[in-house]
Amino acid sequence: MTTDMLRVDNLHAGYGLAEVLTGVNLEVKAGTVVALIGANGAGKTTTMRAISGLLTPRQGRVVVAEKEVQGLPASRIARLGLAHAPEGRRVFGPLSVEDNLLLGAYSALPHFFGFHGRAAAELERVYALFPRLKERRRQLAGTLSGGEQQMLAIGRALMSRPKAMLLDEPSMGLAPVIVQEVFAIIRRLKAEGITLLLVEQFAKSALEVADYAYVMERGRIAVAGTPAELRQDERVLAAYLG
Amino acid sequence: MKGNWKRFFLVRGAEVAGLALLAAVPLAVTNPFALGLLTLLAIYGILLIGLDVTVGYLGQVNLGHAAFLGIGAYTAGLTVTTLGGGMPIALVLAPALCFILGGLLALPALRLEGPQFALATLSFSALATTIINEWESLTQGAQGLQVPRPPIFGVALDAPDFYWLCLALLALVWMTMRNLLASRWGRAFEALRDSPIATDAMGVGTYRHKVIAFALGSSLGGLAGGLYAFNFQYLQPQSFTYELMVILLLGVVLGGRKSLWGAFVGAAFIVLLPNLLSNRLLFQIFSAIGLTAAVFAAGRGLAKKTTQPFQALAPVVAMGLLVGGSLLVANTEDWRKAIFALMLFSVVVGLPEGIMGFAAQLLTRLFRIAPPSLPAPASLESVLPAWPATGEPLLELKHLKRHFGGVHAVDGISLTVRAGHVHGLIGPNGSGKSTAVNVISGLYAPSGGEVLLHGKALPEGSLFKVAGHGVARTFQNLQLFGELSAIDNVMVALKDVFRVPLPLILLGLADAEEQRARAAALALLDLVGLRDKARARAKDLTYGAQRFLEIARALARKPELLILDEPAAGLAHPDAAELVKIIRRVHDLGVTIILIEHHMDVVSELCDVVTVLDGGKIIAEGPPDTVKRNPKVIEAYLGAVVEEEKAA
Amino acid sequence: MDFSLIAQMVVSGAFMGLVYALIAYGFQLTYATSKSINFGQGELVMVSAFFSLTLTDWGLPYWLMVPGGLLFGAAMGLVVERAAVRLALEQKSEGWILLSIILGLLFFSTAENIWGRDDRPFPTPIPADAFKFLGVDITPLEVSVAVGVLSIMGLIELFKRKTLLGKAFEAVSADRDAAELMGISATRTVMLSYGLSGLVAAVAGILVSPITTVGPTMASALILKAFSVAVVAGLDSGFGVVLVGIFLGALESLASFYLGSGWREAPGLVLLIMALAIRPTGIFGQAAIRKV
Repeated sequence: MTTDMLRVDNLHAGYGLAEVLTGVNLEVKAGTVVALIGANGAGKTTTMRAISGLLTPRQGRVVVAEKEVQGLPASRIARLGLAHAPEGRRVFGPLSVEDNLLLGAYSALPHFFGFHGRAAAELERVYALFPRLKERRRQLAGTLSGGEQQMLAIGRALMSRPKAMLLDEPSMGLAPVIVQEVFAIIRRLKAEGITLLLVEQFAKSALEVADYAYVMERGRIAVAGTPAELRQDERVLAAYLG
Repeated sequence: MKGNWKRFFLVRGAEVAGLALLAAVPLAVTNPFALGLLTLLAIYGILLIGLDVTVGYLGQVNLGHAAFLGIGAYTAGLTVTTLGGGMPIALVLAPALCFILGGLLALPALRLEGPQFALATLSFSALATTIINEWESLTQGAQGLQVPRPPIFGVALDAPDFYWLCLALLALVWMTMRNLLASRWGRAFEALRDSPIATDAMGVGTYRHKVIAFALGSSLGGLAGGLYAFNFQYLQPQSFTYELMVILLLGVVLGGRKSLWGAFVGAAFIVLLPNLLSNRLLFQIFSAIGLTAAVFAAGRGLAKKTTQPFQALAPVVAMGLLVGGSLLVANTEDWRKAIFALMLFSVVVGLPEGIMGFAAQLLTRLFRIAPPSLPAPASLESVLPAWPATGEPLLELKHLKRHFGGVHAVDGISLTVRAGHVHGLIGPNGSGKSTAVNVISGLYAPSGGEVLLHGKALPEGSLFKVAGHGVARTFQNLQLFGELSAIDNVMVALKDVFRVPLPLILLGLADAEEQRARAAALALLDLVGLRDKARARAKDLTYGAQRFLEIARALARKPELLILDEPAAGLAHPDAAELVKIIRRVHDLGVTIILIEHHMDVVSELCDVVTVLDGGKIIAEGPPDTVKRNPKVIEAYLGAVVEEEKAA
Repeated sequence: MDFSLIAQMVVSGAFMGLVYALIAYGFQLTYATSKSINFGQGELVMVSAFFSLTLTDWGLPYWLMVPGGLLFGAAMGLVVERAAVRLALEQKSEGWILLSIILGLLFFSTAENIWGRDDRPFPTPIPADAFKFLGVDITPLEVSVAVGVLSIMGLIELFKRKTLLGKAFEAVSADRDAAELMGISATRTVMLSYGLSGLVAAVAGILVSPITTVGPTMASALILKAFSVAVVAGLDSGFGVVLVGIFLGALESLASFYLGSGWREAPGLVLLIMALAIRPTGIFGQAAIRKV
């Protein structure tokens, strides 16, 4: 039986007086990849921030692995098993690659000593996925290239063995070759059975990896369906280019 | 007009009555102690009005005001003792020197914000105390300086005379500051506090205004210092230290920021404080009242859920400590500083708008004082110049570049915006649209290339200078002056209306001009449908209204070129439709527009030409419908078609 | 001018400068996590010194008194964070400047009334008799100051680099939101930084008290110079404060000799205003990009 690892009901959120989300509903079943696509400014990133607690929702429910989490601080939600690789990568520039990864598993590790040993297995798993990060483990994250930083952001989110993961705009600002590489990684994670909500501006690439997809328009879900259905749907192109 | 008279009568009447009452006191009361307190009240009134300029209007924590009081006092004292000048000269020299010193301190310090500014003023005041203390040949150092009170024009001043002199000066300061703060200067000071970036972009020189505001506030400190010297007739460096500074801040915050009455109430409090502390019963009563008020406010705030638990409970705890202390402590005088601290803490946390801020709201409601009525709006044609839509090149970018470290946000853009067009600028996230307009409008200096307006280079890297060339803009993240009313927001930006020089403004001779400005601002508010919201504070407007207000404010610059940075971001459907209408109206007036926008329907409806950016470069240009079908554009938005799909 | 006299003054001043550097380092800790500093830090130095003195009066030996004093300092740091800083940061206002000044005033007045207004000597097992080193008189007390300052700063840096909690501290400084997403509570990290900053203030109080004596006003001059060092070096300059602290200590020692002891404070104040005018981010600090 597949359960909802992540469910969002009637989510409202915004900044100051601006109401960006006006009732978002979506669900991500365990072991599936769900894409959230739509034009710039439709509210994709705001949805992600409202789910992970960086932004406090004004109304609605967010359920992660059967627990209601709306209104909790982001750090609490993270400890409940939701990992969020945010838009713009947001790696810790002044820290080394390995420190970034270790912090990804922060809540599962001892906080003073011996954390290296406890994290060894997870580190190896992530390094196996991203050999380039292993080569650069001692380098400061801020000095990595954009693509490497994206790998690091994904790796960092994987370190906690999350129950569900949010991945926001992994292709933003990257060269086309690197974008392909990123999607190859996502396919690999999918094969390993990850539960993923993927926000992506490049709708075509996202629809290729997803099991199911939602199209956002002006703060709510406009269309939902399987990739096959959505490829035929004219409303998807319209959502982007009017 | 009836409301106007009522308002005039009540507001001005309270001032005149207060003044008359204070002036009459020496006729009835001969107690020298009471008269001394009243004299001090007038002096501190001037001092706190000066401090309120930086703390209230500029919103900066100023720790240097006590030093200006000291500098003023010593300047006046030395003018009389060493230079042999009279009191009038001393009372001119003291504020003049403080004006200059304040300006000199402000030049570097006001480029800073927050803690650095506080630290700079703190250092300045410590330095001033050191110099007064150590320059013994001039100031007599720690020994103290005896200052006589010389006669004015041959008339010796006894205590009531001197009191009347102080009171007259307070009234003068009150009037001129009221005129100043109600003028474009006062609006500029407040605008600065809310958004320095927008103030620059609206062509109001941020820096110049800040420096003048600070210098002005300091000069009032100097004037108060001069009076202080002639009042006490004995000066000591220790009088002007950190502790006095904290008390002065207490006065301003407790009385209420941004309010002349607030400064006066604060001054009264400071003057009465020592007496309050020396009389135990009085102190117990007072602290009990404070505790009751805190408990009441906390209960109300918590019940209505308008305040956080900490904000509600901390003042109760602080006032509780005060009450406990008043009952237990042997000598309240010894605990003077702790008492100041507890009171100040309660006020800062629990009553941030101060006593007068609170009272003003209450009185306005009680007497149903209507705000002053507004003039009829001017005709739009008289406000906005008509620009011919010639289709000639207006703005040209040539190989424009802007790099941040290794990131090439704008990487060699060349484009031409023609007069009378609405020129769309679109592209995926991070494609460099916002950076491009930030370079054009002067927020960033370009790393390479040129920006030409009418074929001439625009100034680089200065919002203020670009604003002077007929280019106005709005901001993606709203940069309104939140505390100012809608009409004041527009008036801050209004160009070519204000001509009356500062001295005449101080004398209150700018009414006609203000009225004309209001009429012009109302015309612009009318254009964006906000005429009936003119008196509302910008931060209280709905989100859509705030977006429209930014457009009205930008139009007050009477721009030839208007840059709209994502005006529809976050707008609900009806507001977005209204926005399209507003932009069309502005366009019909002949204003050339650069429109950055994500919502393609808005772009398609409005734009004559669209330029598409991706990765800091132009990938397509043309009419909206053609551009939308361009495969490169579709790819930039939707992503490349990956191999698997081709194979399938 | 006698060269050895100048050298003597430079060296004695430099030791004092290390204390300024240590307090400035405390400012850096809180600035890193929350962009705020405690304007009443001087009072924290003072009350921690008084508290340690009381522990000694109760008969505690020096080596037990020290940890007691440090714990007290850390606790007071937490009080400052809760009462003065947290609310203002949540409201994104600069109220913390005023509130931390107010809290300092409260500490000052309380200390005045509990411990008296007079300066009192601070007993220490470390001898004050000078020995000659390269022709300059140095006292073991001064050496203890240098050792204490550098070792506490070294320990905290080790903590930040070698423990996961320390790395989390750095993560919050670098990117608060991203750190939250890792399960690191930013609020607790800010508390930690204020606790550490209070601890550092206590160390400074205990180290400097045997030299300056203990009294309510002992830190009022000290703190101005610590501000100068922090600003001149830059509030994110790391060990830059040590160099600037040593420089300023030496400079004021010379100023007080040539201009008179009343002018002691002047160089620091002038340096601070100049630094803010010329390079507001400090000599070792980094410039920020203006954003809209």
